[in-house]
This record gives sequence, structure tokens and C-alpha cells, in this order.
Amino acid sequence: MVYIQLGLAALCPAIVSAAFYWSNKRAGFSKLSGKTKQAVYGLAFGLLAILSTEFGSQVDGAVISARDAAPLCAGLVFGAPAGLLAGLIGGAWRFFAAIGGEGVYTGLGASFTTLLAGLLGAALRKWMFDNKRPYWYYGLAAGSVVEVVNMLLVFLINMEDVHTAFELVEKATLPMVILNAGAVTLAMLVVSAMAGELRKVRGKNRNQLAQTFSRWLLLCVVLAFLVSSLFVYVLQTRLSANDAEKMLSLYIEDVRADINDASDDNLLKLTRKIRDALDETGDYGEPALFSLLDANNVSEINIIDENGIIIASTTEEYVGFDMAGGEQSGEFMALLHGEKELVQRYQPISRNEGVSMKYAGAVLQSGGFVQVGYDSGRFQADIDGQVVGLTRNRHVGEDGFMLIANEELRLVSDPGGHEGMSLDVAGILLTPEEDTYDASSEKFGREWQMLSQSVFGQSCYVMYGVTEGYYIIGALPKSEVVFDRNMQLYTTVFIEIMVFAALFALIYLLVKKLVVENIQKINGSLEEITGGNLNVTVDVRSNEEFMSLSDDINSTVHTLKGYIAEAASRIDRELEFAKTIQVSTLPCVFPPYPDRTDFDIHATMDTAKEVGGDFYDFYLLDENRLAFLIADVSGKGISAAMFMMKAKTLIKSFADKESDVSRILTRANADLCENNEAEMFVTCWMGILDLKTYTVYFTNAGHNPPLVRHKDGKFEYFKTRPGFVLAGMEGVKYKSGELKLMPGDEIFLYTDGVTEATDAHNELYGEARLKAVLDRLEGASAKEICLGVKQDVDAFVGETPQFDDMTMLCLRLTPKHSITVDPREDTMRAVVSFVEETLALAEVPVKIAMKMNIAADEIYSNIQRYSGATNAQIECAVSENRLTLVFEDNGSPYNPLDKEDPDTTLSADEREIGGLGIFMVKKTMDDVSYEYSEGMNRLTLKKSWEA
Amino acid sequence: MNIQKTVNGTTLTVKLEGRLDTTTSPKLEEELRGSVGGMTCLVMDFEKLEYISSAGLRVLLAMQKIMNRQGEMRIKNVSETVMEVFEITGFSDILTIE
Repeated sequence: MVYIQLGLAALCPAIVSAAFYWSNKRAGFSKLSGKTKQAVYGLAFGLLAILSTEFGSQVDGAVISARDAAPLCAGLVFGAPAGLLAGLIGGAWRFFAAIGGEGVYTGLGASFTTLLAGLLGAALRKWMFDNKRPYWYYGLAAGSVVEVVNMLLVFLINMEDVHTAFELVEKATLPMVILNAGAVTLAMLVVSAMAGELRKVRGKNRNQLAQTFSRWLLLCVVLAFLVSSLFVYVLQTRLSANDAEKMLSLYIEDVRADINDASDDNLLKLTRKIRDALDETGDYGEPALFSLLDANNVSEINIIDENGIIIASTTEEYVGFDMAGGEQSGEFMALLHGEKELVQRYQPISRNEGVSMKYAGAVLQSGGFVQVGYDSGRFQADIDGQVVGLTRNRHVGEDGFMLIANEELRLVSDPGGHEGMSLDVAGILLTPEEDTYDASSEKFGREWQMLSQSVFGQSCYVMYGVTEGYYIIGALPKSEVVFDRNMQLYTTVFIEIMVFAALFALIYLLVKKLVVENIQKINGSLEEITGGNLNVTVDVRSNEEFMSLSDDINSTVHTLKGYIAEAASRIDRELEFAKTIQVSTLPCVFPPYPDRTDFDIHATMDTAKEVGGDFYDFYLLDENRLAFLIADVSGKGISAAMFMMKAKTLIKSFADKESDVSRILTRANADLCENNEAEMFVTCWMGILDLKTYTVYFTNAGHNPPLVRHKDGKFEYFKTRPGFVLAGMEGVKYKSGELKLMPGDEIFLYTDGVTEATDAHNELYGEARLKAVLDRLEGASAKEICLGVKQDVDAFVGETPQFDDMTMLCLRLTPKHSITVDPREDTMRAVVSFVEETLALAEVPVKIAMKMNIAADEIYSNIQRYSGATNAQIECAVSENRLTLVFEDNGSPYNPLDKEDPDTTLSADEREIGGLGIFMVKKTMDDVSYEYSEGMNRLTLKKSWEA
Repeated sequence: MNIQKTVNGTTLTVKLEGRLDTTTSPKLEEELRGSVGGMTCLVMDFEKLEYISSAGLRVLLAMQKIMNRQGEMRIKNVSETVMEVFEITGFSDILTIE
């Protein structure tokens, strides 16, 4: 019943821990703040400690409870504050319960221990385990240590009665340790199991240095503890046996001395009496001797002369024996050399080793001496009275006692009053049966040896000594001997546990502080470095070793940084070269056709940091056919760039051979598909503009739809069903479409780098923004359009880095302005105004406009004057920084350029005025050309200027 | 084309404003021919002349020839555009340009 109750008490911390662990995973409880939770834990475990106190049980008279488990558990499993609080509550309750009268004996110690349990749990968790729940075996160790402290405190507080204290400790230690340490361990195991830690595969969860270290340290400490405990146990057992042995032999010696003294006194007294009688009579005759023998009740009287020869004796055969001849008898020769009296022990005589006698001698006045012999029967009868009292009041140690037995092995003296009892009845076997009685020494073989025997039913250490025919037996109850040993052992073990626990904690903390934390610091830095941040420095300066390690790592990282920077800059340079080469293959001189004013083309490519795969291209296939395209190779980097070169070259080469744009791409695709191991592909929009009909024949190979603006309209996405991407699949046949344009119309091609440019919020630039900015740029040149779009995209993305190339191509058909007049009429002003207004509208610089005005004046005045034409058309086209002015008339064929230039060096009087106009035109224009076809004179003036 | 004539003794100063081209030159020629009689000095102020075409040059050449006979002709405040024309055509060597 008691054990069931205790077992339940031991289960409580586990149940409460499990309950808290579970509720902590649930919404309601886990929402509480950390402090509140700690308070709840502390209160709950404090309450548990109180309950344990109240339901503690008596085991063999000692009160056993699992009180200390609760605060320790709270501290280790749930946190330092909870442990402290629980310890305080439990300790206080126990303290006041003690004042109330319950368990006073252990009160102060027990309440302190409960407080300590809370403190220890808190301290361990906070400092040793970095505020993490430790492994269960630390709970086991901590629980044991706490209980050991408890027991030591019981000792300390009850120093005045160590015996009682120790009895309590001996009974309570094991149950208390098992109960409390077991309860904590169980709780921690349960929580670990709930957390799923027990099932973790060891290989997966590599042990941390601190854990491995602490585990081994714990093992070493436990081993050291066990070894030293075993050593202490053996040593103490041996020591206490030695002590018992020493004590027993001392006591036996004492009793022996008492017996000896008594028998010596007795014999000497008789000897003196006989000597005095002999000295008085001087009669050494046999009858006299025998009468003395009888009178004094001795067994032998010998008279020895000055030469040591027995001259008279009560034993006839002794006469003539030389005393010096035997060892025993020889001792008496001392009486012939000045000694007056001598007493010998009861011992075998020289003449006959089979007979034991006790002799005394006294010097006779006549010279020589008398020797009186005494057999055991006689002197024992004499001194038995004295011997009986000898052991009555003797104690050996506390409960040990002395016994004396006679030669018949019957007790003659015994403090318990068992006189007359045979020794074997008392339980003492001085000689085991197989042991032989040594007749020659008259001793049992094990005299002075400590034997283990049961005396009067009590297990005792027994020792005996023999004297004067008596067996003096000392017996010391083993329990007494073991008590001392056990007390020694317990205290030593307790102190060892504390010392080793403290040592473990100290070494653990030291290693953690000096090694593990530093390694962790270095590791943390290294992790950052490995993560790419090479600017992190390792700075552990707590000792020389780590200092040098830090310095080494720093210098390694520094060197590495240098290499990386070098490599990076080399790669950057290479990429820069690659980019340059890539860009240089694209048409990059603008305007590309300075002599063409019928169209205006511009393209830009802004590469991202990496080399990309965008490209654009355009070329005049013949006088009236302009091919233009934009393309985007999948992927980035050198491979994309190289594939782009291949694609660009192939398209160009097929553009020279094929007239139909779809055929160009079909053939390019076929070639690109060959050996396309890298699985790259290209999207492409290619058009061929017929400058006579203003028709674009185009093919779209999976590219973004271009934007087209018809004159005076808005830009619109020109969406057609695109063909498959280039290099994507063999045998794809592309189709071409037609797009009808007019002078003044614009087409804008771009790659997805434009529409997919992203800003800081990851928003795409998008098609709507592109269309909006293009519409805002109405009237701008192709170059201005490209730059304007780029600016708008840049403003949109801000500082956000772009990862894709941005490529644009704008083709603008120059708007054409013309006026048809009749040269016969006064139309000069109209013509000049037309030119002037057209140029002003196109924002041609005033100076250029002036020159054009003069030219128009000169040419048209010529036509009016000389051609005889009835119809003339003046056509003006401005394309960016160049313009053409064409005069067409149906007059007679006349090439003004044929006319000889006037001599401009002549003086005013010599000068002819004719031809000056054409001369001026020729001089001020970049190019003047004349042709006559289909009945029309056609004079074309070209002029360009620096933008 | 504005023509502003000022007579100071035998000096005729003519300020031209606008363009001297095919359309306007005949008017200038007519004005000058009617005014230079008895003049020993013809000063042409080109400050506000925008440009000059070959028709204008012919008027200047004609006037230069006349003035060569009865005095002198000076042209002042010639703009860059006009000067360019004079230089191309060699008129800068014939005319007295201040």
C-alpha cells in the first residue's frame, strides 16, 4: 500500500509535465506570455511538492516523499523561474509543517533541500543547458544529488546524535533517491517521448561537441565515483575489521594479563610459603617435601642446587635433572645469577613436552632454589573465583563482550551469566572439526585470528587467546563493526557524489565557456563566411589558442577574398569583352543609312550585368528592301551569347539567299536545330520592308508582338498568331504575314526585357506602360523613341537591378510632304513657304532651313524661268538629322548640274551673274543629284546636319 | 522685305529687312536704281537681312558695278548666313564688307 502510494507520487511530476507539454502545443495556453507561463508552471509544481509532503509515507520509520522531484522537474523541464518558484513554495510549506510538529527531525534540512532542488533545476537549465530541456539522465543525476544533499543535511543538523541520524539516513537514502530521481527521470522521459526525441535516429542528429563531451564527462565521473566508492568500501571494510581485530586482541590481552597476574600472584605466594618453610627447616628430605606439597596443594616441589641440578624432588625421576638442559627449565637458571623469584607461564615442561605445568621458583638461603610446580587443575581451582568476575563488567566496543572458558571449553566467565555452558552451545567453535588440535603447543590453530561466528545467535567477530589453560574469547557484533564502516561509506559516498557533481558541473562549464562557446562563435562566423559574407571576421580572443585560430581563419579568408576578387574581376573582364564583342556584331552606327531619308531606323540593346542572348539586326537587301529583326535567345551567359551569334549569322546568310522572310527563318531553324545539344531556342520577329510599296513581310517565331502606329494614330500591339520558336523543333515551316504601312508609320520591336522589367515591388513594367510611353513620344525620331522608352523603364525600375537584356528596335517611315504647283504661275512664294513650314514642323535648325529656302528659291526660279514645265512637285522629307528636297517637273530635260561653275575669282566688273544660283546650291547641299525619267526632271537635294 | 532708305548728303544708306530672294530682288533693284543717282556712297545695312539668294547677289553685283563708277559701296552688319553665301560665291572679294 505504501509503495503504491509512493509510486503514484513519483508518477505525478510526469503526469503534470505531460499535461503542460501538451497544453503548450494548444492555442489557449501557448498564447500566454512567457512570464505568465513560468508562474503557472511554478505554482503547479509548488503545489505538487506540497501534495508530496502531505502524502509522504513511513518506510521503516523514515518519512519518504517525492517532494524534491517537483521543483527539480519544473526547473529542468519548464524553465528556471518555474523551478525557483516551485522550490520556494515546496520548501516553505515543508518548513512550516516542521514548525507545526510534523517531521521535525528532518524539517530544516528537508525544506532547504526542496528549495535547493528548485535552485539546482533552475541553475542547471540556465547555465549548463542554455535554457534547453536536458536529457533525462541529467534529471537522474540531479535528483540523486539533491537527495544526497538532503541526507547529508540530516547528518549535519543532527550531529549530536549521529547514531539515530545515521539509522534514518541508512533507511531513507535509497528510497528517497529512487523516488525523487526516478520521478524526475520519468517526467523528462515522458516529455522527451512526447517531443519525439527518443525516436530520433542517432546518425541523423549529429551530437554537438558539448553534448558528447558532457556525456563522456558524466561517464568518467560516474566511473570515478564507482571506483572510488568501491575502494572506500573495501578499505573501510578492511579498516573496520582491523579495528575490530585490534580492539578484540587488546581486550583479550587485558583479560589475559589479569588472569596471569592472578595465577602468578597465587603461585608466588605458595612458593614463598614453601621457601620460607624450607629455609626455616633446611630439611629437603622427601617426607618434608611431600608434606609441603600437600599443605600448599601444589603438584610438584623441586630443590635445585647452586649448579642447577635437581637434588630433591617430589617427583623421584626428576632428581639429577640439569635445569640448564631444557628450554623451559633453563629459564630458572636466572635464579642462580641474582634473581630472587621467577614465575613461569603455564606451559609444556622441558622433561616432557606432553605435560603442561606452571612453575615458580625462589632462591633458598642455603644456595640454590626451590621450584614449585602447579598443574592447571590445581591453580585453576585456586583462581577460578577471581576469573569468574573478570569479564562480568567488560564491554568490547558498545555491544561486544568477553568470555572465558576453561580447558574443557566450558564458560567460566560471561557477562550474560551463562557460566558452565559449553562453548559450542554458545555458538563458538574455536576449532572447526577438520582443524586439528596442536597437542605440542596446546593451542588451537587459530589463536589470535579473527573468526566470524554466531555467538548467542548474534553474528559476531570472535577472537580468542589462551593463557594459563583458559580460553579468553572476545566477541564483537558484526553490526557494530559494519555500522562504523557504513557510516564512513555513506558519508564518503555522499561527499563524493557532491564533489563529483560539483566537479562535473565545473569542468562542464569551464569547457563550455573556454572551448565550446568559442568554437560555436568561430563556427557561427565561419557559417556566415561560407554563406558568402567574406567580410565577417572571427574574433575570439579569450585565450591564445583561439586567438591564433581566429587570426589564421581571418588571414585565410582575407587571402581567399583576394583570390575571389581577382577571379571575379577576371570573369567580369571576360564578360565585359564578351559583351563588347557581342554588341559589336550588331549594327551600332547610327544613323546607319545617312543617305536615306525615306526611313529612320534605330535600335538599342541594354545588356544586363550578364552577357545575354538578345539581338537585333537590320540590313538593306537591295535598294528598296530593308530586313529588320529582333530576337531573344533563351537563357543567359556565354552560351546564350554564342548561340545568339550563330542565330544572327545564320539568319543573315539566309536573308541574302532567300527572298521570302518565312523561308529565311525556316532554313535558319533547320540549321539551328542541328546539334542543338544545349536545348537552346530563339524567339524572333523578322520583317522585310518594301520601301516602294511600304509593305512589311514578316514572320514571328514565338516573339512578343510588336507595336505599330499608323500615321496620326496611336500605337497598337500588332498581334498575330506566332510560329514556333527557332531551334525548338526540326522541320517547322514558318508562315509570313503582310503589314501595310504608309510614310509616317512606325513599328516598334522589343524583347521581354522591356515589358518584364521589374520595380522594387516586383511589379512588371508591362505592355500597357510601354504603349503609353510610345504614345507620349509621338513625333519623335526612332532614336528618341528608343531612348524615351529606355528612360521610362529606368524611371519605373529605379534602383532595382535588372537581370534581362532590354532590346528595342524602332523603324519609322519618314512622313512625306509635297506640294504640286504650276511653274507658269506666280508660285514661288507658295513653294518657299511650303519648304519653310515643312522644315519648321520637323524642327530643322534655322540655319539649315535658311539654306534650304535659298536652294528652293534658286532651283524653283530656274524651273520657272527655263523649263517650260506646266507642272512641278516639290517633295520634302525630314528624317532625324537629314532631309531630302526633291523637285520634279515635266519640263524639257535639263540638268542644271551640267552647267559650268562660275569663276568666283573675277572682279565685280568682269563677273557674269548667271549660274550662281545652282553653284550656291551645289556648294551648300551635301548632295545634289539629277535624273530624267518618264518625262520628268527630278532634282534631289540632300542635306544633313549635326544633331 | 522692307527697304528703308536714308540720304545724308551724297551718302545713301539702305537698311534691308527680310529676305533678298527671287521674289524680292527686283523690287530692291528698282528702288536702288532710282536712288543712287548722284550718290557717291551707298551703304547697305544687312543687320536684319535673313538670307540672300542668287537673285539678290545679282542686284548687289549690279549696284557694285554702278557705284564703282560714281563712288563706293559698303555693306555692313553682315550676318553669318549671308557672309557664308558671299564667301561661297566669291562676293566677299568683290564687295566692301565692314
